[in-house]
Amino acid sequence: MEQAIIGVVTRAEPGLSDAEIVDLQPIPGGFSRETFKCDIAVTRGGAREVLPLIIRKNPPDVEAILNTSRAVEHDLIEALRTKTKVPVSRSYGYELDPALFGEPAMVLERASGSGQTSALFNGGADEDQCEDVIRHLCEVLVELHSADISTVDPNGSLVDPRGVGIRAGSWDEYMDTTFEYYIGEYGTIAWDPVMMTILDSFLTLRRNKPRPMPLAVVHGDFNPANFLYENGKVSALIDWENSRVGDPREDLGWMVLMDILSNTQVMSYPKKEGGFLAYYNKLTGNDITPEELGYFTLFGTANIAVPVHQSVARRIRKEHMLLLPLYLIQSSLPALPAMAQLMGYPGTTA
Amino acid sequence: MNTTPTIDDILEGLIVALQNEIIPHLSNAKSVATAMMMQSLVQQVRQVLPMMDASIANEHNEMTRTLREVAAVLGDVAGPEADRIRERAASLGSLADVPVPVDQTPVREAHARLGYGLQETISDLDVLQRAGHASADAALQRLREYLMPMIMQNIAAISVGGGMVGRG
Repeated sequence: MEQAIIGVVTRAEPGLSDAEIVDLQPIPGGFSRETFKCDIAVTRGGAREVLPLIIRKNPPDVEAILNTSRAVEHDLIEALRTKTKVPVSRSYGYELDPALFGEPAMVLERASGSGQTSALFNGGADEDQCEDVIRHLCEVLVELHSADISTVDPNGSLVDPRGVGIRAGSWDEYMDTTFEYYIGEYGTIAWDPVMMTILDSFLTLRRNKPRPMPLAVVHGDFNPANFLYENGKVSALIDWENSRVGDPREDLGWMVLMDILSNTQVMSYPKKEGGFLAYYNKLTGNDITPEELGYFTLFGTANIAVPVHQSVARRIRKEHMLLLPLYLIQSSLPALPAMAQLMGYPGTTA
Repeated sequence: MNTTPTIDDILEGLIVALQNEIIPHLSNAKSVATAMMMQSLVQQVRQVLPMMDASIANEHNEMTRTLREVAAVLGDVAGPEADRIRERAASLGSLADVPVPVDQTPVREAHARLGYGLQETISDLDVLQRAGHASADAALQRLREYLMPMIMQNIAAISVGGGMVGRG
Protein backbone atom coordinates (compact mmCIF):
# COMPACT_ATOMS: atom_id res chain seq x y z
CA MET A 1 0.00 0.00 0.00
CA GLU A 2 2.96 2.34 0.66
CA GLN A 3 3.82 2.66 -3.04
CA ALA A 4 0.19 3.28 -3.93
CA ILE A 5 0.00 6.11 -1.39
CA ILE A 6 3.19 7.65 -2.72
CA GLY A 7 1.78 7.39 -6.24
CA VAL A 8 -1.39 9.32 -5.37
CA VAL A 9 0.43 12.05 -3.44
CA THR A 10 3.15 12.61 -6.01
CA ARG A 11 0.57 12.71 -8.81
CA ALA A 12 -1.11 15.58 -6.92
CA GLU A 13 2.22 17.24 -6.19
CA PRO A 14 4.76 16.35 -8.88
CA GLY A 15 7.38 18.55 -7.21
CA LEU A 16 7.76 16.13 -4.32
CA SER A 17 10.58 13.58 -4.33
CA ASP A 18 12.24 10.98 -2.10
CA ALA A 19 8.87 10.04 -0.64
CA GLU A 20 8.83 7.60 2.26
CA ILE A 21 5.81 6.31 4.18
CA VAL A 22 6.13 6.30 7.97
CA ASP A 23 4.02 4.57 10.62
CA LEU A 24 1.18 3.29 8.44
CA GLN A 25 -1.51 1.85 10.69
CA PRO A 26 -5.25 1.17 10.66
CA ILE A 27 -7.49 3.41 12.78
CA PRO A 28 -11.22 3.10 13.68
CA GLY A 29 -12.29 6.05 11.47
CA GLY A 30 -15.94 5.20 10.96
CA PHE A 31 -17.85 2.08 10.04
CA SER A 32 -18.06 2.19 6.27
CA ARG A 33 -14.44 2.49 5.09
CA GLU A 34 -11.18 0.92 6.10
CA THR A 35 -9.23 3.88 7.39
CA PHE A 36 -5.48 4.18 7.86
CA LYS A 37 -3.18 6.93 8.97
CA CYS A 38 0.45 7.55 8.19
CA ASP A 39 2.96 10.27 7.48
CA ILE A 40 4.79 10.74 4.23
CA ALA A 41 8.27 12.20 4.42
CA VAL A 42 9.11 14.08 1.23
CA THR A 43 11.60 16.49 -0.25
CA ARG A 44 10.13 19.71 -1.59
CA GLY A 45 12.37 22.39 -3.04
CA GLY A 46 15.40 20.81 -1.45
CA ALA A 47 13.92 20.75 2.06
CA ARG A 48 12.65 17.69 3.87
CA GLU A 49 9.11 17.82 5.28
CA VAL A 50 6.46 15.49 6.64
CA LEU A 51 2.84 15.43 5.46
CA PRO A 52 0.22 13.76 7.67
CA LEU A 53 -2.18 11.54 5.71
CA ILE A 54 -5.43 9.62 6.01
CA ILE A 55 -6.23 6.77 3.62
CA ARG A 56 -9.84 5.76 3.15
CA LYS A 57 -10.25 2.47 1.39
CA ASN A 58 -13.40 0.68 0.27
CA PRO A 59 -14.08 -2.65 1.90
CA PRO A 60 -14.84 -5.56 -0.46
CA ASP A 61 -18.27 -5.09 -2.08
CA VAL A 62 -19.97 -7.80 -0.06
CA GLU A 63 -18.81 -6.17 3.20
CA ALA A 64 -19.52 -2.57 2.13
CA ILE A 65 -22.12 -0.53 3.96
CA LEU A 66 -22.25 2.31 1.48
CA ASN A 67 -21.41 1.85 -2.18
CA THR A 68 -20.38 5.32 -3.22
CA SER A 69 -17.43 6.46 -5.31
CA ARG A 70 -14.15 7.72 -3.89
CA ALA A 71 -13.75 9.76 -7.09
CA VAL A 72 -17.01 11.60 -6.40
CA GLU A 73 -15.99 12.14 -2.78
CA HIS A 74 -12.62 13.51 -3.88
CA ASP A 75 -14.17 15.88 -6.40
CA LEU A 76 -16.63 17.19 -3.82
CA ILE A 77 -13.98 17.74 -1.15
CA GLU A 78 -11.75 19.59 -3.55
CA ALA A 79 -14.65 21.72 -4.82
CA LEU A 80 -15.57 22.61 -1.26
CA ARG A 81 -11.96 23.33 -0.35
CA THR A 82 -11.26 25.55 -3.32
CA LYS A 83 -14.64 27.18 -3.92
CA THR A 84 -16.26 27.58 -0.48
CA LYS A 85 -15.29 28.36 3.10
CA VAL A 86 -16.34 24.93 4.36
CA PRO A 87 -13.29 23.61 6.24
CA VAL A 88 -12.25 20.25 4.80
CA SER A 89 -9.10 18.18 4.64
CA ARG A 90 -7.42 18.34 1.28
CA SER A 91 -7.94 15.27 -0.84
CA TYR A 92 -4.72 14.41 -2.67
CA GLY A 93 -6.46 12.02 -4.98
CA TYR A 94 -7.96 8.60 -5.43
CA GLU A 95 -7.21 5.29 -7.04
CA LEU A 96 -10.10 3.30 -8.42
CA ASP A 97 -7.94 0.46 -9.72
CA PRO A 98 -8.21 -2.22 -7.01
CA ALA A 99 -4.86 -3.64 -8.03
CA LEU A 100 -3.03 -0.88 -6.17
CA PHE A 101 -4.71 -0.60 -2.74
CA GLY A 102 -6.65 -3.86 -2.89
CA GLU A 103 -9.86 -1.86 -3.35
CA PRO A 104 -10.63 1.69 -4.53
CA ALA A 105 -9.16 4.21 -2.09
CA MET A 106 -8.46 7.88 -1.58
CA VAL A 107 -5.68 9.77 0.16
CA LEU A 108 -6.37 12.86 2.22
CA GLU A 109 -4.47 15.31 4.30
CA ARG A 110 -4.83 14.45 8.00
CA ALA A 111 -6.28 17.69 9.29
CA SER A 112 -5.22 19.17 12.57
CA GLY A 113 -7.65 19.15 15.45
CA SER A 114 -9.29 16.68 17.78
CA GLY A 115 -11.79 14.11 16.62
CA GLN A 116 -12.73 13.21 20.17
CA THR A 117 -15.87 15.33 19.98
CA SER A 118 -17.39 13.60 23.01
CA ALA A 119 -14.87 15.65 25.05
CA LEU A 120 -16.96 18.74 24.28
CA PHE A 121 -19.91 17.45 26.31
CA ASN A 122 -20.90 15.97 29.65
CA GLY A 123 -18.05 17.50 31.62
CA GLY A 124 -15.45 16.44 29.04
CA ALA A 125 -11.98 17.94 28.87
CA ASP A 126 -12.92 20.43 26.14
CA GLU A 127 -16.33 21.47 27.39
CA ASP A 128 -15.08 25.06 27.67
CA GLN A 129 -14.80 25.14 23.85
CA CYS A 130 -18.24 23.67 23.19
CA GLU A 131 -20.19 26.91 22.76
CA ASP A 132 -17.71 28.30 20.23
CA VAL A 133 -17.11 25.05 18.38
CA ILE A 134 -20.79 24.27 17.88
CA ARG A 135 -21.51 27.87 16.90
CA HIS A 136 -18.87 27.51 14.21
CA LEU A 137 -20.19 24.09 13.25
CA CYS A 138 -23.58 25.64 12.59
CA GLU A 139 -22.00 28.40 10.51
CA VAL A 140 -20.10 25.77 8.53
CA LEU A 141 -23.30 23.86 7.85
CA VAL A 142 -25.00 27.02 6.65
CA GLU A 143 -22.02 27.67 4.38
CA LEU A 144 -22.38 24.18 2.92
CA HIS A 145 -26.12 24.46 2.41
CA SER A 146 -25.68 27.89 0.82
CA ALA A 147 -23.15 26.67 -1.72
CA ASP A 148 -24.29 26.77 -5.33
CA ILE A 149 -24.96 23.18 -6.39
CA SER A 150 -23.66 23.66 -9.92
CA THR A 151 -20.41 25.04 -8.56
CA VAL A 152 -19.80 22.26 -6.07
CA ASP A 153 -21.21 19.49 -8.24
CA PRO A 154 -20.82 20.59 -11.86
CA ASN A 155 -21.20 17.06 -13.23
CA GLY A 156 -24.34 16.18 -11.29
CA SER A 157 -22.60 13.26 -9.58
CA LEU A 158 -24.25 14.07 -6.26
CA VAL A 159 -27.84 13.77 -7.48
CA ASP A 160 -27.86 9.99 -7.15
CA PRO A 161 -24.45 8.94 -5.81
CA ARG A 162 -25.69 5.49 -4.77
CA GLY A 163 -27.12 4.89 -8.24
CA VAL A 164 -30.54 3.95 -6.94
CA GLY A 165 -32.77 5.97 -9.25
CA ILE A 166 -33.12 9.23 -7.32
CA ARG A 167 -33.82 12.31 -9.46
CA ALA A 168 -33.63 15.92 -8.32
CA GLY A 169 -35.28 18.00 -11.03
CA SER A 170 -37.41 19.51 -8.30
CA TRP A 171 -37.85 19.12 -4.55
CA ASP A 172 -40.97 16.99 -5.10
CA GLU A 173 -39.21 14.75 -7.58
CA TYR A 174 -36.32 14.32 -5.16
CA MET A 175 -38.61 13.39 -2.31
CA ASP A 176 -40.85 11.09 -4.35
CA THR A 177 -38.00 9.17 -5.97
CA THR A 178 -36.32 8.86 -2.58
CA PHE A 179 -39.49 7.34 -1.11
CA GLU A 180 -39.55 4.90 -4.02
CA TYR A 181 -35.99 3.95 -3.16
CA TYR A 182 -36.66 3.47 0.56
CA ILE A 183 -39.86 1.48 0.11
CA GLY A 184 -38.55 -0.50 -2.84
CA GLU A 185 -35.48 -1.58 -0.88
CA TYR A 186 -37.35 -2.56 2.28
CA GLY A 187 -37.40 -6.18 1.22
CA THR A 188 -33.60 -6.18 1.26
CA ILE A 189 -33.34 -4.88 4.82
CA ALA A 190 -36.11 -6.79 6.58
CA TRP A 191 -33.78 -9.26 8.27
CA ASP A 192 -36.25 -9.66 11.14
CA PRO A 193 -39.82 -8.47 11.78
CA VAL A 194 -38.38 -6.07 14.36
CA MET A 195 -37.63 -3.89 11.32
CA MET A 196 -41.33 -3.21 10.70
CA THR A 197 -41.07 0.12 12.55
CA ILE A 198 -38.65 1.22 9.83
CA LEU A 199 -41.15 0.19 7.15
CA ASP A 200 -43.76 2.16 9.07
CA SER A 201 -41.42 5.18 8.98
CA PHE A 202 -40.92 4.93 5.20
CA LEU A 203 -44.65 4.84 4.57
CA THR A 204 -45.37 7.55 7.16
CA LEU A 205 -42.82 9.83 5.50
CA ARG A 206 -44.49 9.35 2.11
CA ARG A 207 -47.94 10.14 3.51
CA ASN A 208 -46.81 13.33 5.27
CA LYS A 209 -44.54 15.36 3.00
CA PRO A 210 -43.69 18.77 4.52
CA ARG A 211 -43.38 22.10 2.71
CA PRO A 212 -40.78 22.17 -0.05
CA MET A 213 -37.44 23.86 0.36
CA PRO A 214 -34.66 24.59 -2.14
CA LEU A 215 -32.37 21.60 -2.57
CA ALA A 216 -28.75 21.89 -1.49
CA VAL A 217 -25.60 19.84 -1.21
CA VAL A 218 -25.98 18.04 2.10
CA HIS A 219 -23.22 16.36 4.07
CA GLY A 220 -25.31 13.24 4.41
CA ASP A 221 -23.75 12.00 7.66
CA PHE A 222 -23.70 15.18 9.71
CA ASN A 223 -23.20 13.73 13.15
CA PRO A 224 -21.21 14.44 16.32
CA ALA A 225 -18.32 12.23 15.19
CA ASN A 226 -17.78 13.80 11.78
CA PHE A 227 -15.92 16.98 12.56
CA LEU A 228 -12.54 17.93 14.00
CA TYR A 229 -12.00 20.97 16.21
CA GLU A 230 -9.28 23.04 17.75
CA ASN A 231 -9.11 26.41 19.49
CA GLY A 232 -12.86 26.86 19.54
CA LYS A 233 -13.30 26.30 15.81
CA VAL A 234 -14.19 23.43 13.51
CA SER A 235 -10.96 22.56 11.74
CA ALA A 236 -12.60 20.14 9.30
CA LEU A 237 -15.87 18.49 8.41
CA ILE A 238 -14.95 14.93 7.54
CA ASP A 239 -16.43 11.77 6.01
CA TRP A 240 -18.17 13.01 2.86
CA GLU A 241 -18.98 9.61 1.38
CA ASN A 242 -22.77 9.97 1.78
CA SER A 243 -22.94 13.55 0.55
CA ARG A 244 -25.57 14.26 -2.06
CA VAL A 245 -28.03 16.79 -3.36
CA GLY A 246 -30.91 16.78 -0.93
CA ASP A 247 -33.06 18.76 1.45
CA PRO A 248 -30.90 20.78 3.87
CA ARG A 249 -33.18 19.76 6.73
CA GLU A 250 -31.80 16.20 6.35
CA ASP A 251 -28.48 17.16 7.96
CA LEU A 252 -30.22 18.81 10.89
CA GLY A 253 -32.58 15.90 11.41
CA TRP A 254 -29.83 13.31 11.28
CA MET A 255 -27.83 15.26 13.86
CA VAL A 256 -30.85 15.17 16.19
CA LEU A 257 -30.89 11.38 16.14
CA MET A 258 -27.13 10.93 16.31
CA ASP A 259 -26.97 13.35 19.23
CA ILE A 260 -29.25 10.96 21.10
CA LEU A 261 -27.38 7.82 20.08
CA SER A 262 -23.97 9.39 20.74
CA ASN A 263 -24.90 10.88 24.12
CA THR A 264 -23.85 14.35 22.96
CA GLN A 265 -25.73 17.67 22.90
CA VAL A 266 -24.82 19.37 19.63
CA MET A 267 -28.42 20.49 19.08
CA SER A 268 -28.48 22.29 22.45
CA TYR A 269 -25.65 24.63 21.40
CA PRO A 270 -24.86 27.46 20.91
CA LYS A 271 -26.82 28.15 24.07
CA LYS A 272 -26.52 31.91 23.66
CA GLU A 273 -28.47 31.57 20.40
CA GLY A 274 -31.11 29.24 21.79
CA GLY A 275 -29.60 26.07 20.33
CA PHE A 276 -28.47 24.78 16.95
CA LEU A 277 -31.80 24.99 15.12
CA ALA A 278 -32.50 28.53 16.34
CA TYR A 279 -29.06 29.68 15.25
CA TYR A 280 -29.37 27.90 11.89
CA ASN A 281 -32.72 29.62 11.33
CA LYS A 282 -31.24 32.96 12.34
CA LEU A 283 -28.42 32.58 9.82
CA THR A 284 -30.58 31.28 6.95
CA GLY A 285 -34.00 32.78 7.58
CA ASN A 286 -35.45 29.37 6.76
CA ASP A 287 -37.65 29.21 9.87
CA ILE A 288 -37.46 25.43 10.07
CA THR A 289 -39.95 24.21 12.65
CA PRO A 290 -39.40 21.49 15.26
CA GLU A 291 -42.02 19.44 13.41
CA GLU A 292 -40.03 19.66 10.18
CA LEU A 293 -36.92 18.76 12.13
CA GLY A 294 -38.72 15.67 13.41
CA TYR A 295 -39.81 14.74 9.91
CA PHE A 296 -36.25 14.96 8.61
CA THR A 297 -34.91 13.06 11.58
CA LEU A 298 -37.04 10.20 10.32
CA PHE A 299 -36.07 10.90 6.71
CA GLY A 300 -32.35 11.00 7.50
CA THR A 301 -32.65 7.85 9.58
CA ALA A 302 -34.28 6.11 6.64
CA ASN A 303 -31.47 7.22 4.36
CA ILE A 304 -28.82 5.61 6.54
CA ALA A 305 -31.01 2.70 7.62
CA VAL A 306 -31.27 1.29 4.10
CA PRO A 307 -27.56 0.66 3.46
CA VAL A 308 -26.77 -0.17 7.08
CA HIS A 309 -29.45 -2.83 7.31
CA GLN A 310 -28.65 -4.17 3.86
CA SER A 311 -25.20 -4.79 5.31
CA VAL A 312 -26.72 -6.47 8.38
CA ALA A 313 -28.90 -8.65 6.14
CA ARG A 314 -25.87 -9.79 4.11
CA ARG A 315 -24.06 -10.74 7.32
CA ILE A 316 -27.06 -12.64 8.63
CA ARG A 317 -27.17 -14.55 5.34
CA LYS A 318 -23.45 -15.22 6.00
CA GLU A 319 -22.34 -13.71 2.72
CA HIS A 320 -19.40 -12.60 4.85
CA MET A 321 -18.46 -13.05 8.50
CA LEU A 322 -17.37 -9.59 9.69
CA LEU A 323 -18.37 -8.72 13.23
CA LEU A 324 -19.33 -5.10 12.52
CA PRO A 325 -22.86 -5.71 11.16
CA LEU A 326 -23.74 -7.68 14.29
CA TYR A 327 -22.55 -4.75 16.36
CA LEU A 328 -24.57 -2.40 14.14
CA ILE A 329 -27.74 -4.20 15.23
CA GLN A 330 -26.96 -3.40 18.85
CA SER A 331 -25.97 0.19 18.10
CA SER A 332 -28.74 1.05 15.60
CA LEU A 333 -31.88 -0.50 17.08
CA PRO A 334 -31.88 2.07 19.92
CA ALA A 335 -33.02 4.53 17.23
CA LEU A 336 -36.41 2.80 17.14
CA PRO A 337 -37.94 4.50 20.22
CA ALA A 338 -37.05 7.93 18.84
CA MET A 339 -38.55 6.96 15.48
CA ALA A 340 -41.70 5.70 17.19
CA GLN A 341 -41.99 8.94 19.09
CA LEU A 342 -41.66 10.98 15.90
CA MET A 343 -44.46 8.95 14.31
CA GLY A 344 -46.71 9.49 17.32
CA TYR A 345 -46.88 5.91 18.54
CA PRO A 346 -49.29 5.48 21.47
CA GLY A 347 -47.43 5.74 24.74
CA THR A 348 -44.99 8.33 23.44
CA THR A 349 -45.16 12.09 23.73
CA ALA A 350 -44.83 13.70 20.31
CA MET B 1 -37.64 -9.11 20.43
CA ASN B 2 -35.79 -9.94 17.28
CA THR B 3 -35.24 -13.66 16.84
CA THR B 4 -32.67 -13.07 14.10
CA PRO B 5 -29.74 -13.18 14.53
CA THR B 6 -29.96 -15.89 17.18
CA ILE B 7 -27.81 -15.79 20.29
CA ASP B 8 -25.87 -18.64 18.73
CA ASP B 9 -25.29 -16.54 15.58
CA ILE B 10 -23.80 -13.77 17.72
CA LEU B 11 -21.58 -16.13 19.69
CA GLU B 12 -20.39 -17.73 16.47
CA GLY B 13 -19.66 -14.20 15.21
CA LEU B 14 -17.42 -13.55 18.20
CA ILE B 15 -15.42 -16.73 17.56
CA VAL B 16 -14.99 -15.90 13.88
CA ALA B 17 -14.05 -12.28 14.63
CA LEU B 18 -11.43 -13.39 17.12
CA GLN B 19 -10.03 -15.70 14.46
CA ASN B 20 -10.13 -13.32 11.49
CA GLU B 21 -10.03 -9.82 12.94
CA ILE B 22 -8.08 -10.11 16.20
CA ILE B 23 -5.65 -13.03 16.30
CA PRO B 24 -3.80 -12.12 13.07
CA HIS B 25 -2.97 -8.73 14.59
CA LEU B 26 -1.79 -9.89 18.02
CA SER B 27 1.92 -9.49 18.52
CA ASN B 28 2.76 -11.98 21.26
CA ALA B 29 2.09 -15.63 21.91
CA LYS B 30 0.41 -15.06 25.28
CA SER B 31 -2.21 -12.76 23.73
CA VAL B 32 -2.86 -15.30 20.98
CA ALA B 33 -3.29 -18.02 23.60
CA THR B 34 -5.71 -15.82 25.56
CA ALA B 35 -7.72 -15.13 22.41
CA MET B 36 -7.89 -18.85 21.69
CA MET B 37 -9.07 -19.49 25.25
CA MET B 38 -11.78 -16.90 24.67
CA GLN B 39 -12.83 -18.76 21.52
CA SER B 40 -12.96 -22.00 23.45
CA LEU B 41 -15.06 -20.50 26.25
CA VAL B 42 -17.46 -18.84 23.82
CA GLN B 43 -17.85 -22.19 22.05
CA GLN B 44 -18.62 -23.74 25.45
CA VAL B 45 -21.37 -21.14 25.96
CA ARG B 46 -22.77 -22.01 22.51
CA GLN B 47 -22.94 -25.67 23.49
CA VAL B 48 -24.29 -25.19 27.00
CA LEU B 49 -26.84 -22.47 26.37
CA PRO B 50 -29.38 -24.49 24.34
CA MET B 51 -29.62 -27.31 26.88
CA MET B 52 -28.83 -25.64 30.18
CA ASP B 53 -32.33 -24.68 31.40
CA ALA B 54 -33.83 -28.05 30.49
CA SER B 55 -30.90 -29.90 32.06
CA ILE B 56 -31.11 -27.95 35.30
CA ALA B 57 -34.84 -28.63 35.55
CA ASN B 58 -34.43 -32.30 34.72
CA GLU B 59 -31.61 -32.70 37.20
CA HIS B 60 -33.62 -30.90 39.87
CA ASN B 61 -36.44 -33.39 39.50
CA GLU B 62 -34.08 -36.37 39.32
CA MET B 63 -32.23 -35.29 42.47
CA THR B 64 -35.40 -35.05 44.57
CA ARG B 65 -36.41 -38.51 43.43
CA THR B 66 -32.91 -39.87 44.07
CA LEU B 67 -32.87 -38.48 47.62
CA ARG B 68 -36.19 -40.16 48.32
CA GLU B 69 -35.18 -43.47 46.77
CA VAL B 70 -31.78 -43.55 48.50
CA ALA B 71 -33.58 -43.22 51.84
CA ALA B 72 -36.05 -45.92 50.86
CA VAL B 73 -33.30 -48.34 49.83
CA LEU B 74 -31.51 -47.68 53.11
CA GLY B 75 -34.55 -48.93 54.97
CA ASP B 76 -34.63 -48.85 58.78
CA VAL B 77 -30.90 -48.66 59.45
CA ALA B 78 -30.28 -46.84 62.76
CA GLY B 79 -27.78 -44.09 63.56
CA PRO B 80 -27.30 -40.36 63.08
CA GLU B 81 -26.07 -40.70 59.46
CA ALA B 82 -29.11 -42.69 58.45
CA ASP B 83 -31.35 -40.23 60.28
CA ARG B 84 -29.83 -37.34 58.30
CA ILE B 85 -30.40 -39.19 55.02
CA ARG B 86 -34.06 -39.77 55.90
CA GLU B 87 -34.39 -36.12 56.98
CA ARG B 88 -32.99 -34.98 53.59
CA ALA B 89 -35.39 -37.26 51.78
CA ALA B 90 -38.25 -35.73 53.74
CA SER B 91 -37.18 -32.12 53.24
CA LEU B 92 -35.19 -31.65 50.00
CA GLY B 93 -36.62 -34.82 48.51
CA SER B 94 -40.13 -33.51 48.87
CA LEU B 95 -39.58 -30.42 46.73
CA ALA B 96 -42.13 -30.36 43.95
CA ASP B 97 -41.00 -31.12 40.42
CA VAL B 98 -40.30 -28.00 38.36
CA PRO B 99 -41.51 -27.69 34.77
CA VAL B 100 -38.95 -28.59 32.11
CA PRO B 101 -38.80 -25.83 29.44
CA VAL B 102 -40.03 -26.91 26.05
CA ASP B 103 -37.94 -26.51 22.90
CA GLN B 104 -38.24 -22.85 21.93
CA THR B 105 -37.51 -23.37 18.24
CA PRO B 106 -41.16 -23.71 17.11
CA VAL B 107 -42.15 -20.80 19.35
CA ARG B 108 -39.55 -18.58 17.71
CA GLU B 109 -40.64 -19.68 14.25
CA ALA B 110 -44.27 -18.85 15.01
CA HIS B 111 -43.16 -15.53 16.52
CA ALA B 112 -41.39 -14.66 13.27
CA ARG B 113 -44.44 -15.62 11.17
CA LEU B 114 -46.64 -13.40 13.32
CA GLY B 115 -44.16 -10.56 13.08
CA TYR B 116 -44.07 -10.71 9.30
CA GLY B 117 -47.87 -10.80 9.35
CA LEU B 118 -47.92 -7.51 11.24
CA GLN B 119 -45.34 -6.11 8.84
CA GLU B 120 -47.54 -6.94 5.85
CA THR B 121 -50.49 -5.41 7.68
CA ILE B 122 -48.61 -2.11 7.90
CA SER B 123 -48.19 -2.13 4.11
CA ASP B 124 -51.87 -2.92 3.53
CA LEU B 125 -52.97 -0.21 5.94
CA ASP B 126 -50.81 2.32 4.10
CA VAL B 127 -52.74 1.66 0.88
CA LEU B 128 -56.01 2.17 2.74
CA GLN B 129 -54.74 5.31 4.46
CA ARG B 130 -53.70 6.84 1.16
CA ALA B 131 -57.14 6.00 -0.21
CA GLY B 132 -58.62 8.14 2.55
CA HIS B 133 -59.98 5.53 4.97
CA ALA B 134 -59.79 7.21 8.37
CA SER B 135 -60.34 3.91 10.15
CA ALA B 136 -57.05 2.70 8.69
CA ASP B 137 -55.30 5.49 10.61
CA ALA B 138 -56.87 4.22 13.81
CA ALA B 139 -56.04 0.63 12.91
CA LEU B 140 -52.38 1.55 12.42
CA GLN B 141 -52.36 3.21 15.83
CA ARG B 142 -53.72 0.00 17.33
CA LEU B 143 -50.90 -1.95 15.72
CA ARG B 144 -48.38 0.62 16.96
CA GLU B 145 -49.87 0.24 20.44
CA TYR B 146 -48.55 -3.31 20.43
CA LEU B 147 -45.20 -2.34 18.95
CA MET B 148 -44.21 0.38 21.39
CA PRO B 149 -43.73 -1.68 24.58
CA MET B 150 -42.15 -4.44 22.49
CA ILE B 151 -39.61 -1.95 21.15
CA MET B 152 -38.84 -0.56 24.59
CA GLN B 153 -38.38 -4.02 26.08
CA ASN B 154 -36.12 -5.07 23.23
CA ILE B 155 -33.94 -1.97 23.47
CA ALA B 156 -33.66 -2.26 27.24
CA ALA B 157 -32.50 -5.84 26.78
CA ILE B 158 -29.84 -5.20 24.14
CA SER B 159 -28.49 -1.75 25.07
CA VAL B 160 -25.23 -1.48 26.94
CA GLY B 161 -24.69 2.31 26.77
CA GLY B 162 -21.49 4.11 25.98
CA GLY B 163 -22.36 5.43 22.52
CA MET B 164 -20.96 3.97 19.33
CA VAL B 165 -17.58 2.33 19.61
CA GLY B 166 -14.90 3.86 17.42
CA ARG B 167 -16.79 7.07 16.61
CA GLY B 168 -15.26 10.09 18.38
